[in-house]
Amino acid sequence: MPKNDIAIIGYAEAKNTIASGRSVYDIAGELLAAALESAQLDIASIDGLATCLSSSEATNPFWSPFMGDYLGLELNWCQGMDLGGASFLGGVARACEAIRGGACETVLVLAADAVTTVDLSRVAAYRPEWQFPVGLMGPPGTFGLLASRYRSTYDLDDRALAKLAIVQREHALMNDNACEKLRRPLTEEAFLSSRAISDPIRLLDCVMSCDGGSAVIVTSTENAKRTGAKRMAHPIGYGERTNFGVRDPLVDVLEGGHAVAGPRALAQAGLTPADIRMFHPYDDFLIAVFLQLEHIGFCDRGKSSEFVLGTDISHRGTLPINTGGGQISAGQAGLAGGGLNVVEAIRQLFNEAGTRQVAGAGNAMVTGIGCIPYARNWSTSNVMILTT
Amino acid sequence: MPETSAAWKRPQPIPTNFTAPFWEATRRREFVLQYCPVAKKFQHFPRPVSLYTGRRDIEWRAVSGLGTIYAITVTRRGPAAFRGREPYIVATIELDEGVRFMSNVVNCAPEEAAIGMRVRITWDPLEDGLNYPVFELARP
Repeated sequence: MPKNDIAIIGYAEAKNTIASGRSVYDIAGELLAAALESAQLDIASIDGLATCLSSSEATNPFWSPFMGDYLGLELNWCQGMDLGGASFLGGVARACEAIRGGACETVLVLAADAVTTVDLSRVAAYRPEWQFPVGLMGPPGTFGLLASRYRSTYDLDDRALAKLAIVQREHALMNDNACEKLRRPLTEEAFLSSRAISDPIRLLDCVMSCDGGSAVIVTSTENAKRTGAKRMAHPIGYGERTNFGVRDPLVDVLEGGHAVAGPRALAQAGLTPADIRMFHPYDDFLIAVFLQLEHIGFCDRGKSSEFVLGTDISHRGTLPINTGGGQISAGQAGLAGGGLNVVEAIRQLFNEAGTRQVAGAGNAMVTGIGCIPYARNWSTSNVMILTT
Repeated sequence: MPETSAAWKRPQPIPTNFTAPFWEATRRREFVLQYCPVAKKFQHFPRPVSLYTGRRDIEWRAVSGLGTIYAITVTRRGPAAFRGREPYIVATIELDEGVRFMSNVVNCAPEEAAIGMRVRITWDPLEDGLNYPVFELARP
């Protein structure tokens, strides 16, 4: 990935809200208007759209063109992204390639979902045959299996899990777009005593669903300069792996695609984990963040508890993690959730994060996690590094 | 999760045309898995191709039904069809034939089962004469 040839020049975020009653297209409209304002662009300059699939419109086979139609977008490049929580970051990466390849000039990457208002998703594939009959409790069930394996292999310190939960909660208190229900201080005792869902996963190890969405505008740096963009974030490294270990029936579930995608993104950017100023990992479960710290190389295998306990991960710290609260404390807007941590990284890089602004926010690493397969950990892992 | 409960019904699996041999064998309480004769390896869940070659010369072979618990979770609040059944165990079983199978560990208390324990297959009757493969601790 050549450096600095692509720029993100604007972003938007809808406030996470439980059962908002809104149409997903209304959320998308709010995002387009705010993103155009943020990037100081005219609607006619958008000629590309990558939009993440939405639970609320899951049965609609014409999702991305209809979305473009609702928003008044005439497009040279239009696509839906179905990589679950890896969709938004994957959409940004595909937008970079489409712009480089000349397919289009300026892309709106958009994710909106009103999953707690309307949910039309029905995952088929292997699940009705091999998962539903055994009563696996969705993602908490899968992460319960994963966490049990981790605990039997390595040390997982409950105080480290609590620290990550509490720090992200403190970040959410400073984020007006976080779900109101989650904007209450959290104590270690409250975390540790939250009720068990699927052992060893507790309620507060998990995300909470809500309605919401995110958007960014991506264009060439050349075009950004021509249109007078005042602030830019450049994607300088990206890696993605889907179906890690699928042909190995005895794959270690404590390994994963981020161990491929992370080093690849770092090599492209010419950086090491020690150079990363802030980390915005996809956080559907706290333990997913711990695994990513190990896979990407912030610490050794089995050492993430020590790393979290020994590092200042707050917005004032040496490696700030999920400075907007992450999905764990801001809420997961269904299939649009993967945009939340991307937008927070851009906001920080633009120096617009207010009271939670990271000092000297020169670069950021953002990750995605997409869908849950049978008896492994997750389907898609992606990692992007952005710089100012 | 006692298998004997009268009221509760395990959700009926929805077989596909290429997984039918698995379910037909369960009528005879026979546990079969897909086998690739080229790679000489088993695979599960069933695929329309060999995972190892991408070709379609796959066989179904009877397996032992013996394995070891690889990962385990006690479900405290299950999906709608399992509401009221909690707590129950969902586990990833590493079968002796070298594949992993997700199922329930039954006939024991949730705290009795743990990673590394040996298990063996037992069958939970479904509708239409089919049986679902579940596992119990292989006590000495």
